[in-house]
Amino acid sequence: MITVQNLQKHFKLNKQYRGAWGSVRTLFSREYEVVKAVDDISFEVARGELVGYLGPNGAGKSTTIKMLTGLLVPSGGELAVNGRLPWRDRQAYVARIGAVFGQRTTLWWDLPVIESLELLQHIYHVPNGRFRQNLADFETMLELKPFLNTPVRSLSLGQRMRADLCAALLHDPDLLFLDEPTIGLDVVAKERIRQFIRHVNRERGTTVLLTTHDLSDVQKLCDRVLIIDRGKLLYDGSLDALQTRFGGRRELVVDLAEPYSDVSVAGATVVARENGRVTYQFTREEIGASELIGRLSQRFRIQDLAVREPDIEATVRRIYEERLLEN
Amino acid sequence: MRVFWEMTKRSFQRYLTYRAAALAGLATNFFFGLLRMAILLALYGERPQVAGLTVADVITYSALSQALIGYLSIFGWYDLMNSVYTGEIGSDLLKPLGLMRFWLAQDVGRALVNFLLRGVLIMVAFELVVDLVYPQTAVSWLHVLCTLILGWLVSFGFRFLVNLASFWSPDARGMGRFAFLSATFFCGQLMPIRFFPDWLQGWLQFTPFPAMFNTTIEIYLGTLTGTAVYLALLNQLLWAIGLLLVGQWVLQTAVRRLVIQGG
Ligand SMILES: Nc1ncnc2c1ncn2[C@@H]1O[C@H](COP(=O)(O)OP(=O)(O)O)[C@@H](O)[C@H]1O
Ligand SMILES: [Mg+2]
Repeated sequence: MITVQNLQKHFKLNKQYRGAWGSVRTLFSREYEVVKAVDDISFEVARGELVGYLGPNGAGKSTTIKMLTGLLVPSGGELAVNGRLPWRDRQAYVARIGAVFGQRTTLWWDLPVIESLELLQHIYHVPNGRFRQNLADFETMLELKPFLNTPVRSLSLGQRMRADLCAALLHDPDLLFLDEPTIGLDVVAKERIRQFIRHVNRERGTTVLLTTHDLSDVQKLCDRVLIIDRGKLLYDGSLDALQTRFGGRRELVVDLAEPYSDVSVAGATVVARENGRVTYQFTREEIGASELIGRLSQRFRIQDLAVREPDIEATVRRIYEERLLEN
Repeated sequence: MRVFWEMTKRSFQRYLTYRAAALAGLATNFFFGLLRMAILLALYGERPQVAGLTVADVITYSALSQALIGYLSIFGWYDLMNSVYTGEIGSDLLKPLGLMRFWLAQDVGRALVNFLLRGVLIMVAFELVVDLVYPQTAVSWLHVLCTLILGWLVSFGFRFLVNLASFWSPDARGMGRFAFLSATFFCGQLMPIRFFPDWLQGWLQFTPFPAMFNTTIEIYLGTLTGTAVYLALLNQLLWAIGLLLVGQWVLQTAVRRLVIQGG
């Protein structure tokens, strides 16, 4: 559905000189710096997928989404959505997609939400019956009722995001782009948005590409994640696989009922021992948790135990910091 | 067409919510109208008419020129610029609609609210304190209606073009202020163009400014008659079409630039 090949977007910024004389120099200077916002990225998204595009601030996420929605023309590489070039025939293209940019609303600031939605019905030429049906569905799922008649400017961020999501889907697009849909929201509001996105993807079959700098969005929503930093694609796959490949080791903490002199076991290493508590580290490839527990309980009397999954956040941070995936 | 109408309707509603501001503007426009009327009358002194305008004409001119300020947005209009600078334009580009039609529809709503709330009320207010002249026949009223609509269209075309400068310059606002000040002066809003020196009147024929406002005055006051009226309307129409075509072309260039360079 989406094909991206060696995609690039470079911004030229006029070189800035400092000081009073500098600003004059800036004005006449022909020198510029090039910001490689998106630098040689390739991926594909198939129909029905829900893909997370994860990266820290300034990674190039919005720039990518802007190219995919036709708001920016790439500086290089290829990009096709449903076989179309997004910027080629803008009006025809955007009629078939939905997009929400977290920091900005597509609704009219001074109009009550419902007026904006009805106006969008006409702009997208949505038949009346279809519109009523969709509106009724979204109204319940997103709990829009209480503020349908409120002007957009008076909505809270969470309400505005819900209204925007509804607006982006009224014309039944088969592709939905979300740029930081949970930014600035509290935990409850985030969760509600996530549930809705999941629903739209599962029940309506809408293909979703969402950007976020919040790992928990990806953890809770996406089977597949693209990790990007400084314009480069660092990883494409599932979070689980990422964890297996780069994750720290899993830990098993055991409280022994009796003191033993030798607590070692095959397949795991002892990393800490105090009083009756022993901490083992192991990796998924070497041994499963249940097998390890089996081996231990054969040899020792165990009072209590707990498995600690490695911290995925730390893994992702390591990927950014140590640039583990760059070749 | 349906989309256009729906957008106009909502823009109308939107501007109605600002009616307090419109009414405040009304008081200001009325006050300055009286002031300008006094100055023009002092200029007349004992003379019954100047450059073809009688005392009654010039009184009505003062009222009209104040009444149409809001309708034509002569003093300035920066909405499109603002949407470029805030990046809101991106949201509009994500919708399947032509940008110019979109802004035109919104401007119809804006102009209508201003015409009804400021225009008509200001004329009523003046009628209460001075004697205004009115077109005498139904046909003349029809001419006035046409010239009003065309004048608005020319003003829109001009305002739209000026605003498009914001795609190229981070400070098009200053340029805009200059452009709108020039327009205010050269369209006859400050003083009827008939009072200008001949050479300037000659030059102004080659600009769209008189077609925004002065033509409307001439037709309303009946200083243009017979075929001259139709020629004036045709002139307005041509300016409107010309400005809109140029605007559309510049807009396309502007959007292409925006998506290639990235705002
Ligand atoms: N229009 C622009 N002009 C110049 N630089 C830009 C522009 N848009 C984005 N950038 C730069 O490109 C990089 C990526 O930005 P962006 O795609 O917005 O990142 P993200 O959405 O991941 O936070 C940043 O360094 C940003 O400053
Ligand atoms: Mg961003």
